[in-house]
Amino acid sequence: MKKVLLVDDDVDFCEASKILLESKAYEVVLAHDGKEGLEKVRAEKPDLVILDVMMPEMNGYDVCVILKADPELNKIPVILLTAVDQMIFKTTYTKHMGLMTEADDYIAKPVESTELVKRVEEFLGKNS
Amino acid sequence: MLIKPSINILVVENDITILQRCRELLVNEGHRVRTAESVEEALDIIQKHSGNVDIILLSLELPGWGGLTLINILQKAKREILIMAMSADCGEEAIEAMHAGAYDCIRKSFTTDRFWTKMNRAIEAFRLWRQLDILTRQRQAALTRIPHEENLMAIFNSITDGIVVTDWQTNIVLFNAKAATLFGLTEEKTLGHPISVSIKSDELLSFVMRAVKSDSSLAPLMAGEEPVVKVEEKAFRVHVDAVKNDTGTVIGAVGLFHDVSSISAMDKLRSDFLSMVSHELKAPLSSLLMQVSVLHDGLAGELNPKQKELLGKAKEKTKGMITLVNDILDYRRIQDGKSVQKIESLNLAEILQRTVELMRLSAEEKEISMKCEIEEDLPSFSGDRGGMEAIFVNLISNAIKYTPKGGSVNVILYKAGKDIRFKVVDSGIGIPPEDIDRIFEKFYRIKTEQTQSIAGSGLGLSIVKGIVDAHRGSIHVESEAGKGTTFIVSLPVEE
Repeated sequence: MKKVLLVDDDVDFCEASKILLESKAYEVVLAHDGKEGLEKVRAEKPDLVILDVMMPEMNGYDVCVILKADPELNKIPVILLTAVDQMIFKTTYTKHMGLMTEADDYIAKPVESTELVKRVEEFLGKNS
Repeated sequence: MLIKPSINILVVENDITILQRCRELLVNEGHRVRTAESVEEALDIIQKHSGNVDIILLSLELPGWGGLTLINILQKAKREILIMAMSADCGEEAIEAMHAGAYDCIRKSFTTDRFWTKMNRAIEAFRLWRQLDILTRQRQAALTRIPHEENLMAIFNSITDGIVVTDWQTNIVLFNAKAATLFGLTEEKTLGHPISVSIKSDELLSFVMRAVKSDSSLAPLMAGEEPVVKVEEKAFRVHVDAVKNDTGTVIGAVGLFHDVSSISAMDKLRSDFLSMVSHELKAPLSSLLMQVSVLHDGLAGELNPKQKELLGKAKEKTKGMITLVNDILDYRRIQDGKSVQKIESLNLAEILQRTVELMRLSAEEKEISMKCEIEEDLPSFSGDRGGMEAIFVNLISNAIKYTPKGGSVNVILYKAGKDIRFKVVDSGIGIPPEDIDRIFEKFYRIKTEQTQSIAGSGLGLSIVKGIVDAHRGSIHVESEAGKGTTFIVSLPVEE
C-alpha cells in the first residue's frame, strides 16, 4: 500500500483528507508542523509528501528545501499546498515560490476532494 | 561753457506781448518752447506731448479757466511738471498758486535779469527733481530685485519635494533644503560633483543623462506616469526635465523628487493584509469543504437521501463562499476591474442553474419564492467562468439579502438581439434614489434601518460591474424604494 504523508497544521483538514485518501486505499500518515513533518519523512519514508506552506515551527518551503537537498529523500515527490493565492504578488511568498521550483506540484487551497485524489493518483497511480 | 541739455517749456499766456517776450528769451537760451493762450489749449498740448513738457510758465490771469485750475488738474494727475506762475503783482493769487503746487511766481513786468534769476532757479530745481526721481526709481528697482532673489531661494527651500539641478555634465549645481534632507546633500560634498555620487540610482542617472542629451526636437522625456525610483530605503516619484537657456540650448537637468515611501509602505501593508486574510479565510473553508465532501460521499458512514441532499447543498454553498473569497482577494480584479482570466465557451444556462440551486436553500430559509426562467437554445457565450459565477452569485444573493421574508426573487436568462440578458427581479426593500448612482462604488453600502442588520462587504456590486465591463457588457438597475429592485446584465455574444 502506497504511503502518503500529509503535513498541515489544520487538524480538521488532515482528518478529513485522511478519510478521503484511505477510502482510495492509500496509507496516510499525518504531521501538524514543519519539524514534525521532517521527522516523519525520515521515520516513515512515505511515497508522497503533501506539504502545507503556512505552518508553525518550520514553513512548508523550508521543509521542501531540506528534503530536496537530502540525497536520500529528494526522490520523494512533494506537492505544496497553500491557501496563499498566487494572485497576491509581491509578498515574500512569491519570492519563496521562485526558489521552490524543486517542488513537484502545487495545489491551491481550498481544494476539492476529487481534485486532491486526482493529483495523488498522478504520482502514485490508481489503487483500485 | 557747460552745455546743459535743453528743457521743454510750455508758456501759457493770453497777452501776446508777454508770450512773445518769454518765448524769445527761452529760445535764445536753447530751450524748446511751446505756447498756449488758454488752459484748454495747454491741456491739449500736455496730452499730445506727454513727457515732453518739463516746465510750464503759467499766467495766473487767464480768461475762462484760470491758471490755478491747471495747477490743480496737473497736481491731481501727478504729472511731473514744474510750474512757474506769472502774475501782474504776485499777490494773493500767487500765494494760492504756490500752495497748490507752483514752484515760484514771476512778475509780468520782469526785467531780463529778474526773469532769468527766477527761471534758472526753476530749471535747476527741475533738473534736481528729475535726477532725484531717476535715483529713486533705480533704488526702488534694486530694492525689489534683491528681495526677489532671496524670496526665490526661500520659496525653493520651502517646497516639500526635493529638487536637484545639475549642469550638462550631470554635476550638481543647486539643490533645495528638502533634497538636502532626503539625500544628505551638503554644499562642500555635493556641489560640483556628479549626481551619481550623491544619489545612488542607476535609473535616475539614466533619466538625467537623457535630459541633458535631449534637444528641443526630441519628444517629451517621459510620457505618462512619472516612474518610481528607489534610492536606498526610500521610494520617489521622479520627474526629470532638461534645463534650457533663452536660446533653447540644454544647459542642465532639473529633477523633482516626491517621496512616496509611505505610499509604498501602505501598498505592502495592504498586500500583507490580503495574504493574511487569504489564509485566515481559506484555511477554515478548506477544512469545511473537505469535511463536507467526505461526509457527502459517504466515506464516514452511510447517509439517508435527505442527509445526502442537505450535505450536497452545504458543499455547494461552501464552494460558493470560496468563490466569493477568491473574488474579494483577487487584488488586481478589485483594483482595476479586470476580471477576465480565462476566456472559454460557456453554457450560461447551466452555470446559472447550478448557481440558483446553490442559492435556493438560503431563499427557502427566508421563505422567499425563487423562480428561474431560462430561455431554451441560448447561444454559447465566450467569457470567464469564475466571473460569470460571481455575477450570478452576487446579484442573486443580494436579491435574497435585501428581500424581506415571504417575498420573491425571479431570475431570468434570455436572448435580446445580439445580447444574452440576465435579469434578477426582487420584491425587496429597494434602493433609495439618492443612492442609486453610487451602488457600484467600492465599499459603498446603503445605510438605513433596514440594511443595518444585513452583512456585506460593499464589494459585491463593484466586482460585478468590473466583470461585466471586462466582458464589454453593461449593467442596468431599476428600483423603487419599498417595492423592489431589478438588475439587468447584458452580455454581448460574439459572432
